[in-house]
Amino acid sequence: MVGDIDGDGGIAHGALLTAFAEAAIGDDDRVLAELRDRIRQEIGDAALVDSAAVAGLFNAIDRVADSTGIPLEDAKAADTVDLRQDLGIDRFHSVRQQ
Amino acid sequence: MTEINYDAAPFAVRADLTAAHARAWHRLARAGAWFTGAERVAIAAEVRNATACPLCRERKAALSPYAVDGEHQSLGALGAPIVEVIHRVRTDPGRLTRAWFDGVRADGLSDGAYVEIIGVLATVVAMDTFARGIGVEPLPLPRAMDGAPTNYRPAGVKQGPAWVPWIAPEDAGDAEADLYGGSTGAHIRRALSLVPDEVRGFFDLVETQYLPGPAMRDFDREFRAIDHAQIELIAGRVSALNGCVY
Repeated sequence: MVGDIDGDGGIAHGALLTAFAEAAIGDDDRVLAELRDRIRQEIGDAALVDSAAVAGLFNAIDRVADSTGIPLEDAKAADTVDLRQDLGIDRFHSVRQQ
Repeated sequence: MTEINYDAAPFAVRADLTAAHARAWHRLARAGAWFTGAERVAIAAEVRNATACPLCRERKAALSPYAVDGEHQSLGALGAPIVEVIHRVRTDPGRLTRAWFDGVRADGLSDGAYVEIIGVLATVVAMDTFARGIGVEPLPLPRAMDGAPTNYRPAGVKQGPAWVPWIAPEDAGDAEADLYGGSTGAHIRRALSLVPDEVRGFFDLVETQYLPGPAMRDFDREFRAIDHAQIELIAGRVSALNGCVY
């Protein structure tokens, strides 16, 4: 998900989960605590655990990808040309390193 | 097995997650291919320390991190090239360059040691971010176990299109046959294969914190308390903020 978020984007609780993802890898403890409480109330405790697990895993896997210099697979790169351009992903520094 | 728990959380944490984290902490404490258990635990401690490094903060704020010189504020247990890798990958992974990688290699860090550092770092980041997400303190680091590194370098390793050499599925010998399990070997799965145990360890976390491979592509069922779309939304937002195209 790239850019400013407005609404749920067609995904249940999308805005809340997006804000949680940002806070989980950010440094604002107060905001994170508020979002944590909202997820528990609106989706449930298990959803908070699974959301935190996914955020943690991707905060790590991004570092594996970028530090080892792996390129996108050819098929994946070919299939996502328009998508990456439309979303501005091709402006990421890591793209220029491939 | 290393004992850990998330009892401090005011709700239940999936037992398979806690078990996977216990396995990860156990692996962290043992000697690896290129580092002793004590060195691996020191790497983990430096991963945590990096977020408070003034040089890293200054570089993160700069238009280019390569325009800012200085010394990292480290815990002092590891050599300078290792500290540089840990701090840069922990604090600014989206702006790493091939020239930077070549530089740390030229400073004396072997490709195997580099990959093992990344494996340890990824484990700590995955688990510490999870702890932050659920609102508990990061787990205390494990006590290092005795033992010497294996110095194991797989026979099938070749230089591919990544910065680091890897084992392609067709080059995996019997000892590494389990790494790909008949898959074509997505590049992220190959990334740490120069140190096969780091692949095994990290993908143990992938399967529990995210999803096992078959479940990723099974859209007829849901496997977590959030659905496929919600999972990918979180994954995509984190990756976008990290500037990771992969």
